[in-house]
Amino acid sequence: MIEFDDVSVTYRGGVKALRNVSLTIDDGEFVVVVGLSGAGKSTLLRAMNGLVPATSGSIKVNGTEVVGAKGSQLRQVRSQIGMIFQTFNLATRTTVMNNVLMGRLATVPTWRSTLGLWPAADKEAAFEALERVSIVDKAYVRASNLSGGQQQRVGIARALAQEPSVMLADEPVAALDPVTSHQVMGDLQRINRDLGITTLINLHFLDLARNYGKRLIGLREGELVFDGDIADVDDDTFREIYGRAITPDDLLAADAAGGHGNG
Amino acid sequence: MRLAGMAMADTDVADPTVSATVRPRKPRLRARTVLIAAGVIAFTVYSAQQSGWEWGSFITVWTNPLWQRFWPIDWEFVLDRNNVLDPLIETFQIAIVATVIGCLLAMPIGFMMSQLTAPNRPTFIIVRSIMNVVRAIPDLLLAVILVAAVSIGAFGGAIALTVFSTAVLVKLFSETIDGADPRPLEAALAAGGRHTAAVRAGVLPEVFPAYVAYSAYVFELNVRASVVIGLVGGGGIGRVIEAQRQFFRYDRILGILIVIFVIVMIIEQISDAIRRRVL
Amino acid sequence: MTSTIDAAPVVTDAPQERPDPPSARWWRLAAALGVLIAFIWGVSGLDIGADALRRAPGNIWRIIELSWPPDFPAVLERGALGKVFESVYIAWIGTVIAAVFSLPLAFLASNNVVPAWIRIPIRQLFIIIRAFPELILATIFLAVVGLGPWAGALAIGFSSIGTLGKWSSESIEEVDDGPVEAIQASGGTWLSGIRWGLLPQVFPTIVAHWLFRFEINVRASAIFGLIGAGGIGGEISSQVQFRNWQNVSAVLIMVVVMVLVIDGISGAVRRRILAGSDRGSAEASTEALGDLGGFLTRRRPTAPGSDA
Repeated sequence: MIEFDDVSVTYRGGVKALRNVSLTIDDGEFVVVVGLSGAGKSTLLRAMNGLVPATSGSIKVNGTEVVGAKGSQLRQVRSQIGMIFQTFNLATRTTVMNNVLMGRLATVPTWRSTLGLWPAADKEAAFEALERVSIVDKAYVRASNLSGGQQQRVGIARALAQEPSVMLADEPVAALDPVTSHQVMGDLQRINRDLGITTLINLHFLDLARNYGKRLIGLREGELVFDGDIADVDDDTFREIYGRAITPDDLLAADAAGGHGNG
Repeated sequence: MRLAGMAMADTDVADPTVSATVRPRKPRLRARTVLIAAGVIAFTVYSAQQSGWEWGSFITVWTNPLWQRFWPIDWEFVLDRNNVLDPLIETFQIAIVATVIGCLLAMPIGFMMSQLTAPNRPTFIIVRSIMNVVRAIPDLLLAVILVAAVSIGAFGGAIALTVFSTAVLVKLFSETIDGADPRPLEAALAAGGRHTAAVRAGVLPEVFPAYVAYSAYVFELNVRASVVIGLVGGGGIGRVIEAQRQFFRYDRILGILIVIFVIVMIIEQISDAIRRRVL
Repeated sequence: MTSTIDAAPVVTDAPQERPDPPSARWWRLAAALGVLIAFIWGVSGLDIGADALRRAPGNIWRIIELSWPPDFPAVLERGALGKVFESVYIAWIGTVIAAVFSLPLAFLASNNVVPAWIRIPIRQLFIIIRAFPELILATIFLAVVGLGPWAGALAIGFSSIGTLGKWSSESIEEVDDGPVEAIQASGGTWLSGIRWGLLPQVFPTIVAHWLFRFEINVRASAIFGLIGAGGIGGEISSQVQFRNWQNVSAVLIMVVVMVLVIDGISGAVRRRILAGSDRGSAEASTEALGDLGGFLTRRRPTAPGSDA
């Protein structure tokens, strides 16, 4: 369970990225977060695993306080949270396997990971993660030799290798083409359904949000302006969240040549 | 026609109302530039005087009978195993030892010296400052001191070169790290890894090719430097050169230098090949 | 609600074949082993008895203890400060000499200025000059012009021609040929094409090379004193000889300060010169960071032999 209690984040330089955000997410939920660029979506996710320190308020993940956590406590929480990045964040010069094994860093002693002597159990976990996203045949391929969609799948495998209870995806499809985007969104949906991992996804494209989301959170200028079921969402909701009319740029389907008439 | 009397510009006739008829004055040399140039020249003249400048040297250096002593080359001496080959091997060994140890030390120190991977700010500042000071010590001065300290020429030379190698490599390496992609490191930390493990998994793969290439470069430097170290008592071929110089046997010295030149060329080729493969 | 694109499911539980670990690992192991063997061979040849090895750290520590506190008054009395300045003068004059000679030679070594039959021999000349260790050149000049700073200045001057020639010619070749073409098209001579077309573009970069070489040469001139070619090196040599460790540390600190000061001033001037000129491609030779291709042209003062 994730609990935000009156959380505010102010960056150095005075930018208020989050203002007094409070929300609760139960285990196993599939949540989509939307908002304009700069609305605080990325900050919301990064505050959850401490990559961005919250200025005030409390964030509890599975009962552990994240705000102010340090050292092994912080690492413990982080190991329960798998993160997927917009730009994949892979170590491009090394193999897919080595990238996925990064997910096991929290459980493997430092000397072992430094020398590359990974225990069998951890290698097994890595293989299983790769199998789940159907890319295990590329296990020893250099990460930079993969396509964007494949790289993101490796990113997902890395997060899965952590055996996490929470999965955070920061605009996971923004750098991908429409077909691959749908694949990845579908994958995340299935992972949530099959493994019961609580999932939060930041999305740029509103039609994707409507197609895949179950619960929608809307942020505007750091404030929580919408929190509810996806069924209750229509174009007016989006207009309110964005503070302006919806344009084709906000829809993925408008990208696809020949269009699919979605949304 | 009043053209002759007017100070009329050849261009800009399009708009007659614009006063483009007055020619701008050529910008005068700024006083500051003149001052700087004068200072540099004065300093140069003073330095020349302090260094014992002799105009004649530029000619006499080449006409000096000393150069006759360089030819013909005494190949018999040079190619004799005891005289040259063994000391050369020792020179080589000094270079290898210094490079290997220097490279091993340079990796952790390099990580500590880079803003991206330093564990905390104090470490970063302290290590960086120390290495900057070490880099400012001319390598042979260090060699002279160390040779006297441990009283075995080759050993002292090896230690001096190790320190030198570490300092050079660390600077190059940490700059590479500064330019590395920080995102895999972010991912590794987000997964809950400790700092060292995260750096090892996220940053090292990115910078390792550069590390290997720089190490090869440092090895080249060390081979050259270990030749010279012998001149001040550090063992290896330098000692032979110094001994021969005292007997004015420049014919042998030239031969030795040619042999060294050839070997250095070979090493450079190998080093370039390694760098190309690794890139 | 509209249907999603029917993408083939990727996330599955279907059994898949796991690939074998690649054989490249063995290459890396072999390389590491090779380095280890080379290292052991190296150490064995150095003929360091286990005894000496054990005593070494103790010896070094003893020297360090004896070196504190540094004895500045004694050293200054002996004229060390003057010697330090002498090293700077030697380095400066040597660099000036090298700059004067290397500038025309650099043009003669550039492929956008001269044909190959001129360029290649000049390039070879640079390589041969660079193959000569500076210190050995200095000992030869000692025999020719006698003891003293002039030998050191000449040695620095001539050996720097090799490096400056190489760097300058590389920078000249990188420069835009457009202006030269324009001058020749309007009927200018070849020489004025060089003088007005190439030189203004490349001059800031070349000056930056000179300054960088100056930084390296300051270190070199400190060393030259060791063989009697002037400068502070001689002072260190004699102090070490007499084991006056407190004097040694004092002189060493003075040398370090000198080097750091020169590096700082020269570095600042270099940056200003390059920032002032147009950000041409030649600037890459001092700004390349983290770029492996750029590292071959990366300039960092380290020691006399270290010109890439």
